[in-house]
Amino acid sequence: MIPSPSSSNSGDKIISVRDLKFTYEGGLEALKGVNLDIRRGEYVAIVGGNGSGKTTLAKNLNGLLRPTNGSVTINGKPASDQTVAQLARIVGYAFQNPDHQLFCSSVAEELEFGPRNLGFAVEEMTSKVEHAINTLDLKALRDKPPLSLTLGERRRVSIASVLAMDPEVFILDEPTTGLDARETDDFMASIDGLSREGHTLILITHDMSLVAKHARRVVVMSEGRVVLDSDPGGAFSDLELLLKSKLVPPPVVQLAHRLSAIGVPRETLSPEELVFRIMLVRGGSQ
Amino acid sequence: MTGFVDLYTESDTFLHRMDPRVKIVAVLLLSLLAFILSSLTSLVLLLSFVFLLLFLARASLSKTMFALKFVLRLMVLIVILWPFFDPHGTPVLLSIGPLKITQPAILKGLTSAVRVGCLACVWYILMFTTSQRNLVLALVKLGLRFDFGLTVAVSLRFFPTFVSTIDSVMDAQKARGMDFSKGGLLRRSKKYVAVLVPAVVSALRMADSLSLALQSRAYGARHDRTYLRDLRMRGSDYVALAITLSVLLASMVAKFAYAVHL
Repeated sequence: MIPSPSSSNSGDKIISVRDLKFTYEGGLEALKGVNLDIRRGEYVAIVGGNGSGKTTLAKNLNGLLRPTNGSVTINGKPASDQTVAQLARIVGYAFQNPDHQLFCSSVAEELEFGPRNLGFAVEEMTSKVEHAINTLDLKALRDKPPLSLTLGERRRVSIASVLAMDPEVFILDEPTTGLDARETDDFMASIDGLSREGHTLILITHDMSLVAKHARRVVVMSEGRVVLDSDPGGAFSDLELLLKSKLVPPPVVQLAHRLSAIGVPRETLSPEELVFRIMLVRGGSQ
Repeated sequence: MTGFVDLYTESDTFLHRMDPRVKIVAVLLLSLLAFILSSLTSLVLLLSFVFLLLFLARASLSKTMFALKFVLRLMVLIVILWPFFDPHGTPVLLSIGPLKITQPAILKGLTSAVRVGCLACVWYILMFTTSQRNLVLALVKLGLRFDFGLTVAVSLRFFPTFVSTIDSVMDAQKARGMDFSKGGLLRRSKKYVAVLVPAVVSALRMADSLSLALQSRAYGARHDRTYLRDLRMRGSDYVALAITLSVLLASMVAKFAYAVHL
């Protein structure tokens, strides 16, 4: 299992956001004062409806966008003092659409692009690229042109190309869009592996089943603000707030809420847990 | 970035209401006129007339300046450079070695610059008062094949989308440690391969799905397609066309039959 964020090894903050406001050029106020601390090794899901400010927040974390107001601190240093390339060493950001970044003639070359930009030595680069290839299961594809692959494969390549730069923090923006259930499971298994290795993961999504299954902390955003920040069980117990934030909890959570009348706890997150809880309730009543 | 492509500004002036076909023809005629006129005086006169039209079309100064910035620079360049490359005529104002600056050459430079200005402003009026939709419709009604008209319309429509794709690709590559501001010209242009390939591939994928979308809406099912909006010439359109045509014809007759220096 994935280590919980409250364990003793996850002490220091790697990301610290204070009173972050961001307004786009056209006048759209996307972030209206966000405060957020993320500790090393955490597995955080940032959820919220379309236009809630998730992606804007993420882009502020790696310098692609700069705060209109407030501050972003990465690894103890203000992000404002660092270029996007410098921040890329610490905060890796995998874009929603893999087709917006793949351009090389082979997967291996594609993975080398980032490390080369960051000036890695050849040995280090080779080992990071190998590691990325193994983690995302790309061995069979390494000499193929990335643009000829299926969407699921292209997405794995695009994530691997960020992993090859070995960032401590990994931001994944809607990584499972367009993947089928099987592809999603395989893909998320690789991502959970990264968490076990100690990477800090930030998952941006509105797939609540994904959140229930994988994340250890949920940050709910709505209209440019953080409206809830807790573990998944806690986050899913406030149905009203979720609906207000244009989110629907996964079916198993909804079922647990209905069954709360007979004593099933609202924090139930997985089918296995639900079965266990129901059996417990039944056992208790007999 | 949208304003960069679409110069059209919604308004309700007689130029906005004019049949786009008439506008296209009138613009062509006026362009021809700008080539026939060869004296500075008459070209300045034409330019003032075009400015008057711009004023009547309620063109804002800032948008006009933005649209014609490049042309303005070109005009300045013509005025400055022309005398250096044209040593003909007298009186000679300045002579250093092989370099001769003559009064007629300065005049010619000015004339050419004003001509370029006339041409640019005339076409700007067309773009400024005609929506892309009407422009394409007019071209089709004037005999352009509908597929070509649609191609033009689609390219205009998708240009902003393409620009935002490029922005997104640049962001993605920056996030992979690419620094576009560093390196010499050669290294920097090589970096743009990393932007162009994904951008072009995305554009091709987009074009592919667009063609499917068109086909699924029965594009090309019949050759004699109908139009939701049709164009109709009104009295004022005929008047405008007649005035433009007669001015051009009069200038041509004066110039070529009576050798008047216009």
